[in-house]
Amino acid sequence: MKWMKQLFLRRRIYGDLSDEIQAHLEEKIEELVRRGMPRKEAAAAARREFGNVTLTKEDSREVWRWPSIENLLADVGYGLRMLRKSPGSTAAVVMALALGMGMNTTVFSFVNALLLRPPRRVEAPNKLVELWLHNRVASGIQGYLPLTYPDYVYYRDHNQSFTGLLAFDGDPEPVIWNRFGEGQVVQGQLVSGNFFSVLGVNAFLGRTFLPEDDQTGNPQPVVVLGHSFWQQRLGSDPQVVGKSLLLNGTNFNVIGVAPSGFAGLLVAIEPDFWVPATMIEQVTRDSGRLTNRQAYWLLAVGRLKPGVDATRARTEMNRLAGVMEQDHPDTNKNLGATVFPAALVPGPYRGYVSAFTGLLMAVFALVLLIACVNAASLLLARATGRAREMAIRSALGAGRGRLIRQMLVESTLLSGLAGSAGLVLAYWTAPLLLALKPASLPITLRIPLDWRVLAFTASVSLFTGLAFGLTPALRSAKAQVAPILKDEAQSASYRKSRLRSFLMIGEISTCVVLLVGATLCVRSLVNASSIDPGFDTQRVAVATLDPGSLGYSEAQVRSFYEQLSQHIGALPGVSSTSFVNHLPLGSAREQSSAIEGNRSAAGQKGVSVDVLRVAPGYFETMGIPLLRGRDFIPKESESSNQAPAGAAIINDAMARKLWPSQDPVGRKIRLGEDTGLEIIGVVKTGKYRTLGEEPIPLVYLPRLPSRRTLVVRTSGDPTALLDAIRREIQTVDPNIAATDLETMQQYMTLPLFPARTTGLLLGASGILALVLTCIGLFGVISYIVSQRTHEIGVRMALGARRGDVLKLVFGHGLAVTSIGLAVGLAAAFGVTRFLSALLYGISPNDPVTLLSVSLGLALVALLACYLPARRAMRVDPMVALRYE
Amino acid sequence: MKNREQRDLFPGALEMMILRTLKRQPLHGYALAQVIKRTSNDLLQIEEGSLYPALQRLLKEELVKADWRISSTNRRVRIYKLTPAGAKHLEHEVSRFEKMLEGITRVLAPGES
Repeated sequence: MKWMKQLFLRRRIYGDLSDEIQAHLEEKIEELVRRGMPRKEAAAAARREFGNVTLTKEDSREVWRWPSIENLLADVGYGLRMLRKSPGSTAAVVMALALGMGMNTTVFSFVNALLLRPPRRVEAPNKLVELWLHNRVASGIQGYLPLTYPDYVYYRDHNQSFTGLLAFDGDPEPVIWNRFGEGQVVQGQLVSGNFFSVLGVNAFLGRTFLPEDDQTGNPQPVVVLGHSFWQQRLGSDPQVVGKSLLLNGTNFNVIGVAPSGFAGLLVAIEPDFWVPATMIEQVTRDSGRLTNRQAYWLLAVGRLKPGVDATRARTEMNRLAGVMEQDHPDTNKNLGATVFPAALVPGPYRGYVSAFTGLLMAVFALVLLIACVNAASLLLARATGRAREMAIRSALGAGRGRLIRQMLVESTLLSGLAGSAGLVLAYWTAPLLLALKPASLPITLRIPLDWRVLAFTASVSLFTGLAFGLTPALRSAKAQVAPILKDEAQSASYRKSRLRSFLMIGEISTCVVLLVGATLCVRSLVNASSIDPGFDTQRVAVATLDPGSLGYSEAQVRSFYEQLSQHIGALPGVSSTSFVNHLPLGSAREQSSAIEGNRSAAGQKGVSVDVLRVAPGYFETMGIPLLRGRDFIPKESESSNQAPAGAAIINDAMARKLWPSQDPVGRKIRLGEDTGLEIIGVVKTGKYRTLGEEPIPLVYLPRLPSRRTLVVRTSGDPTALLDAIRREIQTVDPNIAATDLETMQQYMTLPLFPARTTGLLLGASGILALVLTCIGLFGVISYIVSQRTHEIGVRMALGARRGDVLKLVFGHGLAVTSIGLAVGLAAAFGVTRFLSALLYGISPNDPVTLLSVSLGLALVALLACYLPARRAMRVDPMVALRYE
Repeated sequence: MKNREQRDLFPGALEMMILRTLKRQPLHGYALAQVIKRTSNDLLQIEEGSLYPALQRLLKEELVKADWRISSTNRRVRIYKLTPAGAKHLEHEVSRFEKMLEGITRVLAPGES
């Protein structure tokens, strides 16, 4: 405990030291005086012989210290005092940096949540790999396929690389949970029997699945509940194991509850419960999927055996894929297999996610750069102001390293403060960004501010602190001591202001790049929002229903929908209702190929068309104009699914394609297997897959499956109608619940989601950049004016007019701005190409955007110069000259 | 800023001289400086101040100890005294130094190759 004693004794040691040195000097002086030297001379001689008293004291004290840490602490304390001395500029710099760092932290927290964070609660996640089929002849992301059930079983039973291979349904299944005679929609995930055991996840209550629960031909209706579902929906019932839940009409036995925090292996999806994959028929009424060799729905994840790495696993999986290709040439042709390290975003999509988040990171890094330049130029100004202080410290024996460290400590303090503020900012903005997500997406994304985010922000803070502090620090440490102390500082300041001008040029050009990017994205968003989807988005409410999932017969389904139509139609304000199998611009799609019916020659290539199935009144409800012919009548949609369909309505694009100059009404087409479909009407073409698409030929058929989307047209506000619709569904059949009950406008946020998010983020970055640049420019010009007050005073005393002074100051601002603009425009021209994939209806080098950004920025920049210039004009020569 | 002592002497030399001087008799700082100067016939350029950091190092290593006393000239002074550990350290350093000196002398000795 020697060091502790030393720590406490230190104050006494220092005291002793001072006394001792004092005594030494006195004794020396006395001796010299005794020898006949005058006292004054003796004092000087004593000091000369002794050397630098302060330095000796410091060196002596240093013996007792942990020098580096203590010096640092002293520097920090001093730095804090300095920052407190000028609270205004400190606050400005910290705020600018905090905005920059906050946005970076926010984006990084998304990167972390999506790409870096391993699945929670899973044992040794780095030993897990995803298994994907890969079509050798397809390119890009289209080439990757999840597994079919037969594929999965084969790989599971024949691989040598894994201690276990699990599989789960990639899409959450919305399931109706019937509780107390009332239906609620919950999300389930179908998983293989070894799902929990391969992941090493133990049950919180009861047990997890065993392979016996998940056997083809003998599936067990058992369910493992998610922890938060059990807590929130079942009130943490401790006796829940052994009870049963009525899910889609089947009773499932609760065998266990998953541990808290475990949410499976997919990002943004937190299943309420897990059921064995072999129970798929009871859950989705899709009986054929377990044997279907073309239904790719299972994401497979294997745990590598000790000593096996991903490369070896990939080689083996490819060998197994080769065997499958030989055994099933019709379905598995060209299908290889590959593995990815397991993460929350499935392997093939990771590239897209990283490209998007990478773009955002780059954008906000630029914003941060601007903030850094501001901070650097402020510190430079301050360094000039402190040149005297530095010179004095240097004269008193402070080393160059010591001075640089002092300055760096101050800049890192600034950035550290900003980093903390940025974290707070990120804590608030991340949920705000999540709020942009369409309500209909059944995802719950957690954006934790965990150690990775903290480490990121800390290193960004440190790095920016060093980056913007280094130049001012080096400069001030290099300063010539003698001239500064002799008040000859004027000459040095010119070079400093030149450096600041360079910094400003960099800042303005960065700002141009950001503004161009932001303007392009915002204009693209405006373009996208104003695209006519081909239907009315204002006065329509929608709801998705599936009575078939409860095991209802065709007659029961039809009677449910008939009653529902009547009930909803009777609501006040409702003018019409109808059904569609799925809404356009969603994720579901049905495609077929159409051939003109009259020449049904063999081998004729059909037109590829999209298919929508609609009930009578759909066009009226959706506000889609009927161009020719008539709508479906109830008889056509009621006929049994086995009978030939008979009638079809096509869109304008299809009519133009098949009968460019003739009236298609009354003609016949063959659609897939359906022959002799008579065209009874033509409607206006809309958007079906994406808002940016070219016109797509589409056929409407009159018969609907049991899963449908209800569309309701109202004369009033559709939001007010949503509760009434929910109530009416309950009244007609309490067992049924709607999955996506929302207004059409809410639904439309989904196709606009990517454009809107990008537009918002880039818009924010552009505005931020503009504000920061203006502050920076204002600061630089003000500084230059204050530096040249003397010079301006002399000029005015010598007869310069105010206009000349204005020209002098403005000239500088103008030069800096125009060089910055030129550099920035050149850079923007090169950089915006990377945005082209995100842009709609606007070229990445749109001249209007480039021009308006330049003009706008120039105007704002000149304004930022004007205020200091006006101050320069008012310089009173007398005051300016006396100032020195 | 480095001490001048380190430019003129090799590291540890000052400490060694202090220990050697204190071995003869306990002394206070000023006296110590004068004795070293005098015995070296002023051949060594030592700033008096540089003594103190060296003394602090020795104190910290517990090779010397110090007490406040009243001197013969009725002055409050801090007397430094060699500790047994200091004596041992001195012996060790001196023999090390002698070896080093012998080595240097052999190399510098003319015409003996």
